[in-house]
Amino acid sequence: MKIESVVAPAFYDQAKKALDTQAGAEDAGANFSKALEAALQEMHRTVQAGEAASTAALSGTGDTQALVEALTATEMALETAVVVRDRVVEAYQEVLRMPV
Amino acid sequence: MFDLKSAMKSAASGMNVQSFRLRILGENIANADTSGYQRKTVMFRNDFDRAQGATVVRTDSVVLDRSAPRQILDPGHPLADDKGVVTLSNVNPLVEIADAREAQRSYQTNLSIFDQARRMHSQTLGLLRR
Repeated sequence: MKIESVVAPAFYDQAKKALDTQAGAEDAGANFSKALEAALQEMHRTVQAGEAASTAALSGTGDTQALVEALTATEMALETAVVVRDRVVEAYQEVLRMPV
Repeated sequence: MFDLKSAMKSAASGMNVQSFRLRILGENIANADTSGYQRKTVMFRNDFDRAQGATVVRTDSVVLDRSAPRQILDPGHPLADDKGVVTLSNVNPLVEIADAREAQRSYQTNLSIFDQARRMHSQTLGLLRR
């Protein structure tokens, strides 16, 4: 195949575009891990609040209702985290199983 | 999910104020025979919780009931005045019990809203499970 010098810039453009999409994908990956990190930090705070409420309730200084509230929030956060983790792992395994 | 969390916050605040109301009712009943005691009533107000993004209920103030106290004629009582009349509290236990039942019903309703929001969250997440 003979490449005319006139067509060369068009090929260059195409290649550049492909590279740009790759960079975009990397950005998206970074954004996703950032979002995941933020969500995990939020969950960590919720779990800590739940632990504090449990300790207070066990030592007799806490309110039962506050305990239920904090533990329910912890349960919800943990449930969400587990479901999201399962999905991420599943997607990863799906990619691994892909025939190359 | 944010709305469900707000609903849970509102319901929890409702449970909080009803607990406080029951505490005040308990104080009234305990002091039903205390001479000169005035029964307390709780005022509520709504409040927008910016951090939670939910309209919650809070206790506003505890006000004293200014109605006339119960008076009995008992000249032998150490607190009797020169006419033999003893001034007791203005607490009517029947009213307090009815009020307590109302607090219980309200607490129950808030609790079921709390539970329902939790279950709705869990059910929605269930869609993602296999």
